[in-house]
Amino acid sequence: MRTIEYLFGPPELAALFWPAVVVGLLVSVLCAVLSPLVVLRRMSFIGQGVSHAAFAGVGLAMVLGLGAGTGGDWGILIVVALACVVSAVGIAALSDRKGLNADTAIGIVLVTAMALGFVMIQHAAEAMRARDEAPGFGVESVLFGSVLGVRWGDVVAAGVVVAVELSLLWWFRRGLLFWAFDEVGAVSVGVRTGLVRTLLLVMLALAIVVTMRLAGVVLATALLVLPGATALRCSSRLWPVFGISAVAGVAGVSIGLVVSFELDWQPGPAIVLTQVAGYAIVRAVSAVVRSG
Amino acid sequence: MTESHEPTREGGAAIEFDRVGFAYDGAGKPVLEEISLRVEPGERLGILGPNGAGKTTLVRIALGLLAPTSGGVRVFGRTPAQARAAGWLGYVPQRTGAELAFPLSVRQVVEMPTLVGLRPWAAPGPEAREAVEYALGVTGCGEFCDRPIGRISGGQLQRAMIARALASRPRLLVLDEPTVGIDAVGQKQFSTMLEEIRRGLGVTVVVVTHDLRTIAAGCDRVACLHRTLHAHGSPEGLTPGVLAEVFRHEVEGVFGAVHVDAHRAEECHDPSHAHGAEGDGHAHD
Repeated sequence: MRTIEYLFGPPELAALFWPAVVVGLLVSVLCAVLSPLVVLRRMSFIGQGVSHAAFAGVGLAMVLGLGAGTGGDWGILIVVALACVVSAVGIAALSDRKGLNADTAIGIVLVTAMALGFVMIQHAAEAMRARDEAPGFGVESVLFGSVLGVRWGDVVAAGVVVAVELSLLWWFRRGLLFWAFDEVGAVSVGVRTGLVRTLLLVMLALAIVVTMRLAGVVLATALLVLPGATALRCSSRLWPVFGISAVAGVAGVSIGLVVSFELDWQPGPAIVLTQVAGYAIVRAVSAVVRSG
Repeated sequence: MTESHEPTREGGAAIEFDRVGFAYDGAGKPVLEEISLRVEPGERLGILGPNGAGKTTLVRIALGLLAPTSGGVRVFGRTPAQARAAGWLGYVPQRTGAELAFPLSVRQVVEMPTLVGLRPWAAPGPEAREAVEYALGVTGCGEFCDRPIGRISGGQLQRAMIARALASRPRLLVLDEPTVGIDAVGQKQFSTMLEEIRRGLGVTVVVVTHDLRTIAAGCDRVACLHRTLHAHGSPEGLTPGVLAEVFRHEVEGVFGAVHVDAHRAEECHDPSHAHGAEGDGHAHD
């Protein structure tokens, strides 16, 4: 099996694959814990808008000459994180304006980010070729993720983001849950809903940043949607839903990475298809149980 | 817990609207004009008016969810935002915007306000737990409190939302169209519940409705609203003339068999309740 060979074979080979596995496990837990909130608040399209903003961030980082050739470079991560956070806050601000609904706001941000990102990546790649330098990564790996593109620097970034976000989620859990359940009700008892919403959007943006290296900007949002959707089919109790979501997230990423190694697929599609299969199975089983 | 027992100003009103006006951006005609109204602590006030009269807008201004275009509002002597932050307000909207697919039991929903403002590691104290039990009991939610919030009937959901509003032990409870779709038996139960809540908590209650039966079922005083305040006094003072002015069409067509003509018209013009006449000049005669 390639999986065993890659992870437990020669140290120089294992050193290439372990960062992707560790990042995968870290982000799967974080995304799975955020996922029920994303699903219940119908924020998956916001996630799409934010993750596509990461594409523009990558383009900007390449134009600025940051991180080319070094996947785990902090410079590129910071530029991409800024692009995602600005787009998340921008979507929220645009959605609040009268005459522009959230779907339209997200659609505008999404296509603008993709167009800008593509132009900037193409421009940077041509400039690098003119200097006889190889681009650090191709458009395909940005869009769909790459196992070998994940470095130990990404592990550190993911570890920090996951630790900070899980702490913030625990700290603000009561306000977040009240806001997510009933915004008007939460406002009426003094919950600072603007702060809570912005906090969640920033957390989503940063979760997408640390996920996109592995799963790609197009598919990173799947990790924020599928575990929660699966868990909500299994339980109607609060904490079990979050627990099941975490299990579904970790299982989906683990199995997806094995599929990626064995079939030589890119990790993004392998993880997403595994999680979709899990969701389909749970949905079918729950339909049978409910009809019985 | 958000409950606070800070004293209000001496002789302060529960709510005091002072020449309040409101218009939505770009809308030609204001929704509210020159509304002056004083609600006393412990009172049960009904705000009666047809759909689109500005009732919900008025209570949302009192709750600090909307800012008036003109005039001002004080709630227990504070701004609405301060009153809200102090946990003095309980609000049950007409249509809950709650996400009912949320995996929460009725009890967890009712407990929510008691958790706001607690330190993340702190559990609710005995007073908060008692308030939750009281709210579940007085609204009759105890029997289904362990069921998921998305799997209860509309009437049960309404009671759960009232229980949630009560759980923070508010000083002011605002109910927006609380009896929509509830039959005569439900109206009677609602009336009993409102009286029990007032006796138990001494809370000021504002009920917003277009349904006269809701006013008759449990309000001490009624304010008739249709953009401006037309009259306010005891429910017995509501005459067909007042109602026709407020609703602008046949009273019988709206209320069917309700015998509004049995009430005494003069009570509507009790000078102690003639605030609308002073404030807007629209008091009906």
